[in-house]
Amino acid sequence: MNVPIGAYLAVSLGLLVLGLIGVMRRRNPLLLLLSVELMLNAGNVALIGFSRQWDDPAGQVFALVVMVVAAAEVVIGLGLTVSIFRTRTNLDVDELSSMRG
Amino acid sequence: MGEQVLFAVAAIGAIGFGIGVVFFKDAFRAAVSLIGTLMSVALLFIALLAPFVAVIQVIVYAGAIVVMFLFVIAYLGDRGAVPGPDRLDRWQVIGWLGLIGVGFFGAVAILDSSAGPASPAPSTTDVGAPATIGDAFLNSHLLAFEATSLVLLVAAVGAVILAKAAVQGEGGR
Repeated sequence: MNVPIGAYLAVSLGLLVLGLIGVMRRRNPLLLLLSVELMLNAGNVALIGFSRQWDDPAGQVFALVVMVVAAAEVVIGLGLTVSIFRTRTNLDVDELSSMRG
Repeated sequence: MGEQVLFAVAAIGAIGFGIGVVFFKDAFRAAVSLIGTLMSVALLFIALLAPFVAVIQVIVYAGAIVVMFLFVIAYLGDRGAVPGPDRLDRWQVIGWLGLIGVGFFGAVAILDSSAGPASPAPSTTDVGAPATIGDAFLNSHLLAFEATSLVLLVAAVGAVILAKAAVQGEGGR
């Protein structure tokens, strides 16, 4: 392995921190979900990196499971976003104050 | 040498497009920028000898998830957020402290990552091959596999129920 595992972990950390900044700053729920995708991808990079380091397919299996969870999360997240914000004029999570759609 | 070039391109792409995802004002541009990040991450997977996961990444993420995002962005249209103070407002200090904490512990983890085999023996088994992954999935991780199907079922049912509520909200059945 020419590139050390630490380099891949550094990319993973960079993506995770970017996603975290996005989740903290964004007010548009769609962009908030995009930032969550960024963080999930950071986790996947670390998992595949460790899978390579230990020469074990378990990390790749875990990464595939993470992808499934991400897909399910996006389906529910987008469904909620559409049903809540369809009738509102602003796409802003800070405006939400009731659990009624 | 080849891995270093591939890694450099993919890493710069992933971080660069990631900055775009977080800082683009326009939702459409941010979503397209996410495609760039996902493709770069797929390149990273290829550099890590995981071609199967890389292909799944492109098909599922860039092909399905981002397209769904684009549909919803097009459907909800370009409605801005309410002009007002930054979301971080009162919690700014705590937010940045948390960020510094994540960065700190991440840096410690990276510096500590030499704990494992620094350079693995040239892989005798092809870890990234679909056959190997399928074997691991169905033999060692069967419970995770079944849980996956349950998660997808719950997501599908939940989406149907949400859509039904939305239709009823408009007076339909």
